[in-house]
Amino acid sequence: MSGAVTRVLAVARKEFIHISRDWRMIVAVLILPLMQLLLFACAISFDVRNVPSVTLDLDKTVASRDYIDAYAKSGFFQARGTVSNYAGIDRAFEAGQARVAIVVQRGFGAAIAAGHAGQVSVLIDGSEPNSAQLGQTYAVALNQTLGRRALAAWADAQGLGTVKVGRLEPRIRAWYNPERRSADFLIPGLMIVIIMIVTVQQTSVTLVKERENGTLEQLLESPLTHSELIVGKVLPWAALGVFDTIAITAVAMLVFGIPLRGDITVLAVGIALFIVCALSLGLVISATMPSLESANVTALLVSFLPGFMLSGMAFRLESVPVPLQVVSYLFPARYMVEIARGVFLRGASWGLLLPQIGALTLYALVALGIATTLNRGRTGERTVPLQLVLAARRRLTERVRAHVRAGGRGSAGDRP
Amino acid sequence: MNLRRLRLIIWKELLQLRRDRLLLPLIFLMPVMYVIMFGYVVGSDVRNLPTAVVDNDRTATSQRIVDAFSSSGYFVIAARPAGEASLQPLVDGGHARVAIIVEKGTEAALARGEMVPLGVIVDGADSKTASVASGYAAEIVAAFNQELLEKAGRASGGPSIDARVRVMFNPSLKSVNAMVPGLVASILMLSIMVIMSQAVVRERARGTLEQMMVTPITRAEYLTGKVLPYVVIASIQMTFVVLLGLFWFHVPFNGSVWTVAAGLILFTLTSIGMGLLISLVSRTQQQAQQTVMFILIPTMVLSGFIFPIESMPATVVPLTYLIPLRYALVVLRSAFLKGSTIADLWPQFVGMVVFAVGIFGLAVARFQKRLAE
Repeated sequence: MSGAVTRVLAVARKEFIHISRDWRMIVAVLILPLMQLLLFACAISFDVRNVPSVTLDLDKTVASRDYIDAYAKSGFFQARGTVSNYAGIDRAFEAGQARVAIVVQRGFGAAIAAGHAGQVSVLIDGSEPNSAQLGQTYAVALNQTLGRRALAAWADAQGLGTVKVGRLEPRIRAWYNPERRSADFLIPGLMIVIIMIVTVQQTSVTLVKERENGTLEQLLESPLTHSELIVGKVLPWAALGVFDTIAITAVAMLVFGIPLRGDITVLAVGIALFIVCALSLGLVISATMPSLESANVTALLVSFLPGFMLSGMAFRLESVPVPLQVVSYLFPARYMVEIARGVFLRGASWGLLLPQIGALTLYALVALGIATTLNRGRTGERTVPLQLVLAARRRLTERVRAHVRAGGRGSAGDRP
Repeated sequence: MNLRRLRLIIWKELLQLRRDRLLLPLIFLMPVMYVIMFGYVVGSDVRNLPTAVVDNDRTATSQRIVDAFSSSGYFVIAARPAGEASLQPLVDGGHARVAIIVEKGTEAALARGEMVPLGVIVDGADSKTASVASGYAAEIVAAFNQELLEKAGRASGGPSIDARVRVMFNPSLKSVNAMVPGLVASILMLSIMVIMSQAVVRERARGTLEQMMVTPITRAEYLTGKVLPYVVIASIQMTFVVLLGLFWFHVPFNGSVWTVAAGLILFTLTSIGMGLLISLVSRTQQQAQQTVMFILIPTMVLSGFIFPIESMPATVVPLTYLIPLRYALVVLRSAFLKGSTIADLWPQFVGMVVFAVGIFGLAVARFQKRLAE
């Protein structure tokens, strides 16, 4: 047993030396994740403000100017000047200068003074649906307030006393995250996605690289057993993953003031399981991909896309079609994002997160099992599904070769 | 430039791509996966939010308020607990994302002309839902008030404001319509950057570059032959995305093909330039991959592709001007949805020309020099 430990540690040390020889790798693994966190946490939010707007005042009265001023004062719209006709609005929209246009129709001031309905239109550029949606909401709410003000002013002027009209006042409270800070919501999820990207990407190429360099065969001729090799190869990345987690958590709490309300042991156990899952995913890619390029492209597809889209980190999974929801269960990020958010924001403890922890444990066991089986199959001969693909490919290539020869293209088709 | 030699290099490059058993299928799987994910996940609009209603008033008016919420399509009444105390477990368990509380005496107070609070609780642990849901709630309440106001205005003969709020270009406010044009540019960039940089680095890492240089092939031929296959692949991928967008997601196309083409050509040059620059600074394929990620993540976040630039803090906004994808996104979205022309979009086009000339020029110059060494 002690021999096994020595051998595993030797492989781990070799891997560490590989990593430390390449300064870019160190940057990629240790500094990049923190930079990503800072960038995301600062840049991402769904709270739209300062929507650029232009105004078209066809009325040009005191009333119309007051009406237009109210938009700028609301804090939601940002005045980007005035235009003199409808064509100006079209131009502003097409050039992307404004997303909202406010048009006060001729006779607005007179209508208000006479106690009639003053006509205005608010045009919204829908090509950026997020902003447009909120712009619409704010415009409707603002007009309602302004209408009320106009009615009150009119009643005053007529000496009617105040006209009392009842109204509802929405008192909106957000639970768990009372200031509705996007950072509080995003960072726990982000942490997980960043760790997933780092670990899956790195492990997915480690074995392919050894194979391409021909050093894998050398390693297998040594007294190393297969599992020892894999454990040793993965150990350094696991350590780096844990280090990244700690660093990111520290930054999240100290720099962004994210509260850690729940039980930290749940988080620690979850992260440990999650890293095993992510590393196993990487190993599966490593075992099945024939070349570094394919491994790289697959790692990008498997870590980046599902990490971002299907983890629930930024996008609600309940509103996603069912087949994609099913797919989202195939990636460990989904469970871990729930755990992280639960622990950080909701103050969840063991009891509440037991299903997620259980799912991760199961996932880790299955993924690790698949990864070792695939890799064992890989060293002797190629795995069965791959052999089938290979046979089909070979036939195709032969046909291409025959075609090349017939076409008299010489040796251009041969391996360069 | 000898056309025959050029053709041979392209042929070699394509053969090499086929040799890799899984790379080509992966390359064509990529855009499909992207369209599905972005179309369905990012493009999914927040609708049908499970909502709990606590109606302490139980009058015709309170019923009208609740109906206004449920008929909007944004809220689905999932539970009607008897008191506020039973809300907590509903929201904790995720059975309700929003709760509406109508206070006792709402109808009477409204009739007296008072201001009546309406409790709206949103699950803040999910900030997009929270911000969108509170927006919808505010809008519904505003519409409800407007109705009361109009009635009162008519009764007293007072004025009102008749505001017609109209959404142009994308009246249904579907996110997919904005997503697909952006995806065309993103796929182009991603594909060229990832796959081309790998191909060029590989040649150097394996030493086949030197072999290439002792053949009669000129540097310009080599570069063109190396780049062209990947441009073709990226074009096929873009076509996939556009077709899926137009026919599966029914994205409207109102613009001119020329504006789109001009924008895409400029952006292709920029992407090739970036791919070449990556291959210049990377010695191994793994390093190239790291460099791609280093560029990719800020690009995705800061370009406005997923997260609106308007929501970014003022200190971050200047950074977005350094991202080439930002300009391409505006051009494609405007051309698709608004029918903007090159004349409308001249600031973006100026930006794109600057990037295309700058990055592509620099990359080609450096690459030629590198080959010469």
